[in-house]
Formats: sequence, C-alpha cells, structure tokens
Amino acid sequence: MAWREVQAWRLTRPVSPRTIETTMWRFWTLAAAAVLWAMPSLTGQAAAQPARRAITVFAAADLAFAFKEVVPLFEQRSGVRVTLVLGSSGLLARQIEHGAPADVFFSADRALVDDLARAGAIIPETQSLYAQGRIVLAVSKRAGVALRELGDLLRPEVRRLAIANPDHAPYGRAAKEALQALGLWERLRPRLVYGENIRHTLQLLQAGAVEAAIVALSIASVPEVDVVLIDPRLHGPLDQMAAVVRRSGRPELGLAFLQLVQGTEGRPIMKRYGFLVPGES
Amino acid sequence: MPDLFPVWLSLRVAGLATLLTLAIGLPLAWALARRRFPGRDLLEAAVVLPLVLPPTVLGYYLLLLIARRGPVGRAFDAAGIELAFTWRAAVLAACVGSIALLIKAAQAGFESVDERLEQAARTLGRSEWGIFWSISLPLAWRSVVAGTVLAFCRALGDFGITLMVAGSIPGLTQTLPLAIYDHVQQNRMAEANALALLAVAGVTVLLMGLGRLARLRF
Repeated sequence: MAWREVQAWRLTRPVSPRTIETTMWRFWTLAAAAVLWAMPSLTGQAAAQPARRAITVFAAADLAFAFKEVVPLFEQRSGVRVTLVLGSSGLLARQIEHGAPADVFFSADRALVDDLARAGAIIPETQSLYAQGRIVLAVSKRAGVALRELGDLLRPEVRRLAIANPDHAPYGRAAKEALQALGLWERLRPRLVYGENIRHTLQLLQAGAVEAAIVALSIASVPEVDVVLIDPRLHGPLDQMAAVVRRSGRPELGLAFLQLVQGTEGRPIMKRYGFLVPGES
Repeated sequence: MPDLFPVWLSLRVAGLATLLTLAIGLPLAWALARRRFPGRDLLEAAVVLPLVLPPTVLGYYLLLLIARRGPVGRAFDAAGIELAFTWRAAVLAACVGSIALLIKAAQAGFESVDERLEQAARTLGRSEWGIFWSISLPLAWRSVVAGTVLAFCRALGDFGITLMVAGSIPGLTQTLPLAIYDHVQQNRMAEANALALLAVAGVTVLLMGLGRLARLRF
C-alpha cells in the first residue's frame, strides 16, 4: 500500500475497535510475510555451503597478509573453495571447542592447540608446527621520531607504546619478555596501551593513537610504518601450531591445506611475510 | 566494490531478531507494567542486564547455552536444528542484545496508559486479550514503536555477541559489522569504508522511513 493511500485510509476511517483489529491483523500478516521472506534465503544459503567442495580455515590474525596469497594458491591447485575466518587465536580456539564449523585451525599459540588436543577437538596426528613468529618495533612515520632500538622507546617523544595484551596474545607476551629482558618493562609500563590482538595493536599505530608499537613482522608491511627487527633471542619462541579439526567432514582437504603451507610452495610465502619456517633460519 | 552479502544478511538477521524481540518483549513489558507476581522486581532488573554486561561476556555464556553440548543446543540438535555458528545464532545474539531496549520503552508506554480505560473495557465485557489489542497497545503505540526502532538499530549494529556465537564466517554468518571489522583486519580499507558508508546511508534512509511509521497512528 502506498504511503498516500495509508494516509487517506487513516483520515477517512473512523477509529473503532473493529478497524483496530483489522490493523492488527495487517501488522501480523506483514510480520509473517517478513519472516517468510527472510527464512528460506537464509537457510538456503546455509544449506548450499557444504554441498560444494569447500573448507573453512580458522586462522590467527597474524596470518592475515600471508594467507591472502596462500588461499588463492590452494584454491587454484585443488579446486577447493576456502572460507577464511581470521580472529584472535584464543577466541577461535574457544569456538572450535564449542563446535564451530572449522576444518583446519592455524593458531598463533601452540598452547591453544595443545589444549584443544586434550579436549579431543582436533586430530592430534595432524598437529604441526608450521611457523615461528617474529616481533618488530613499528614506528609511525607521521610521529616524526626515528627509533633504532627498543631502548629508544624511553625518549619523551614516544608518549604511547602499543603491544598486544600479554595476558592472552602470544605476540604481546613476547613483547613483554623482550622489554623485560632489556630492563625496560617497568619504566615503559605507564605508556603502554594493550591491543586486543596483533592486528588491532598495529591499527592503534596506523590510526595515529600511539607513536610506536611492538607487532608481528608478518603484518608490519603497511606503508604508514617503519620497522626495526627485534632479536628473537630476547623472548621465548613464538611457536605457531596448526591442526585439522576433528568435527571436519573432510579432514583430507584440511590436511592438504596444512601441507601446502608447510610445503615447497607455502614456505617461501610464509618467509616472505616474515615468519621463521621450522628447520630453516 | 565489496561483497554485499553481509548487508542482506544483516538486514534479515536484524529484521528477524526484531520480530523475535517483539514476540518475547511485548508480553514481558506488559506483565511488568500491569501484573504483580513474585519475582517481578528481580525480573525487571534482569531484563536490563544484557545492556550492562560486556557483549563478549554475554556472547560467551550464550554460546555455552546454544553450543551443541549446551543445554539449549542439545535440545535443538536432537530436533536436527543447529544453532551455534549459523544465522540462527546471529538472530539470537541480536535479540539478546536489543531486547532490553524494547522492554523498557514498551513497559513505560504500558504504564502510562490510564488503567481506568482498561477497567471500563472490562466492565463492557471485553476479554483481556481484546483489551490488550484494542486499548493498551494502541495507547502505548508510540513507546512501542520507539522501542522497536531502538531494538532494530541495536540488532543491526551488534558485534560482540554475534562474533562469539555465530563466528565471522564470510558468506554464512558474517554480518555487516563483522564484515567491516574483517576488512579492517586485512587492511582492505577501501572496502571497509565503502561498507561503512553504505551502512550509514542505508540506515539513515531506513530510520527516516521508520520515523514516518512512528507518526502513523496505530
């Protein structure tokens, strides 16, 4: 009914309980129509998904850039469509524990995969160390401060320093360990800002909220920042582990993806995006 | 141009969530305004809790409930319906996040209705059901519409609860706010900006339309 007609109908009809109930029924008919409109398309979408050869990859946020290359490569090689879900490893692990439809999980933290193995949520034989992360000091070009080493963070121009939350993010934990190893942690503490995950930490820098940040090398290649490598001996190894999820209906496809990342084609990509690959340096 | 699936998904999820919110929230709001029963004050406090709790916390507990091993999830699983990590979970998430807004607004609306009008209808032999539809709801209409609009907007914008219970699976459960966040995560700022702009423009137009609906009498 056009708006004008509604107006006219309102003005001419006297308001009596009868018309009110008619309105009511129109309201509910409209509501029911809306439900019917929304439902089948949603279920159709959900049902159409698993019928095709497709896998869902849950991956840690630090893989955002590297997997932009790995995923199309795998799709091209195997003809399998990949749905990539990026997030903080901790959240993704909780979701897999509660039955999320992931086929393979790439964690930034090996402890999370070990926990999932104990909970029986992944296939333990597929557990593999696929990379080691590196941390870097990233400095905003706009801030106009040139930093060459972690000690320079004490300079007064660096008002805020962002790291990932060391309580749950592995890169945050590594950043904290490196600062502690150099005796800078206590002195820098009042200037620290915690990011929710490693991508969010870099965003704080990209948005200009902080002058410097300690982030993963794998995501630091954005135009707005300069990067200084941090000696990996200053912190515990950032072992990144992946595994095929037990609930997966096609474990062989997840395993194939995992093997591609670790194979001759995946390793150079991972290295190019700043990961250390196991067995090489 | 970014994939527009999240836009349609969000509209549908928010629409369904609003209907679910109305179906649960209106009777609750009416009961809170008109009925005295044990635990009423507790219920009144409890309906506002979703606004106070951090969305991710709320999402985590909702996930425990609706996951396949959770108490609610198990019942639905037995019926062959999967809740967690599907669009249904997104609807539930949006509903949980927004229901307090509708209940509080509608409750205030029902409370402002002159009880003598309802009494008069009762003396004239109208059923309680009829009184609700022909007296209470029409007189509280503006508050109900205001609450519905607020609830719809909150449902459309939900992030934290949806992320927890539905995941951010592209093409399946990735709603508009999650898609924007995902684009930012992957440094695709052009797509993120396009979607954000679309969301702002689209919702503005929608709200202008809803504003007219609110002026329309019951």
